[in-house]
Amino acid sequence: MSAIPENLHELMAQSLAAWRLTGSVRGTSDGAIVVTCGPHNIRIGPAPSDLPFRWIVIVDSRSRPAISLVAVLRMVRAALDPGYAAMRARIAPFPLVPT
Amino acid sequence: MIEALVLTGFLGSGKTTLLGHLLHQPGFSRTAVIINEFGEIGLDHDLVEASEESVIALQTGCLCCKIRNDLATTLHELLRRRDDGSITAFTRVVIETSGLADPAPILQTLMTDSLIAGRIVLAGVVTTIDAVNGAATFDREEISVKQAAVADRLVLTKTDLAGPLPPSFTRRLRALNATAPLLAAQRGQIDPACLFGARLYDPLTKSLDVRSWLREPAASHEHASQRHGVDAYAIVRDDPIRAVALTLFLETLCEHCGADLLRLKGIVNILESPDRPAVIHGVQHVFHQPSWLERWPSADRRSRIVLITRGVPRGWVEALLAALDAEVAAVSAKLS
Repeated sequence: MSAIPENLHELMAQSLAAWRLTGSVRGTSDGAIVVTCGPHNIRIGPAPSDLPFRWIVIVDSRSRPAISLVAVLRMVRAALDPGYAAMRARIAPFPLVPT
Repeated sequence: MIEALVLTGFLGSGKTTLLGHLLHQPGFSRTAVIINEFGEIGLDHDLVEASEESVIALQTGCLCCKIRNDLATTLHELLRRRDDGSITAFTRVVIETSGLADPAPILQTLMTDSLIAGRIVLAGVVTTIDAVNGAATFDREEISVKQAAVADRLVLTKTDLAGPLPPSFTRRLRALNATAPLLAAQRGQIDPACLFGARLYDPLTKSLDVRSWLREPAASHEHASQRHGVDAYAIVRDDPIRAVALTLFLETLCEHCGADLLRLKGIVNILESPDRPAVIHGVQHVFHQPSWLERWPSADRRSRIVLITRGVPRGWVEALLAALDAEVAAVSAKLS
């Protein structure tokens, strides 16, 4: 398993706790992880290299691509936490390095 | 830059008394004061002896909600009058909130209004705590907990009436806010340097004074968590963080935590800028534009981010930052 799935595994486990949800996270032999929570099964795996995405998220058999972990988190939380209303981020635009 | 000091604290905790004392100090002679009073008849501004032209009372409601825009308008007007010479060229603004105010939106106004943020910098948040009634107020009034949690300085008032402070109350304050120095004012009297000595913004160095608020919060906050759900902790990373990862991290924190992220402050070792650390500062879902220090303030070049939250687990924050940085690293490697 590469470094990213290891990070993803930890992130998803911590996310369940942060969202006060009871569930489990386990790895699969093909490098994906599966999040089980209530009636939902969510599989998160690397996207095929010919797709312009990094992840494929399968929520209860419905497959969707995700461009980043930020998008993965958003999809997973939307599936598991229907009452969740994302706070619109207000990060002031700033240079990424000193100018 | 003009410094703004936000003076907050629950009703009757001694804000106006403290302000009245401060304004008598020579160093405060060029200070504009904005006083927010909750109620139809405001009294506080009459209790503060200062140049009338530089004291403005906002009485139409609580500063944090109904008249938040009034704060921006008032500051714009103060700056305009300062520029045209119709009032003293003040170098400092003190904003006294109403006792019922949530200080977060006020800080956000200072950070996000383009005109204000370009000329006025937040020098710090001072929260007055009534040494006699503070513990009971914490139990009863959630907003008082938040006022204490976001402070850069905690000032105990009425200590002459309270006698020795019970250790349990001190521990409770420390658990709520481990990084803010705990000061005491005798009938409003306090050395002004104590309030500004560890300011967020140091006018001498023209930079954010990060050392003052990067002390590691106490390891255990069980007491505060159980009672208030407010927790403070520091995330420390040895390895530099990629600039894009930091941006994604902050945005994701905002998106998922929202109002539960009471305050975030930190110094970050950016991979692309190893010699000039970034200083980040946010209140709930609003973040100030990062500042870049000219150099590291000490030999310690680790990234240190202090978070004051309501129930946001430390483990999630650490996992989020690690995962995002790893993903950005992987994408960067693929592109290069």
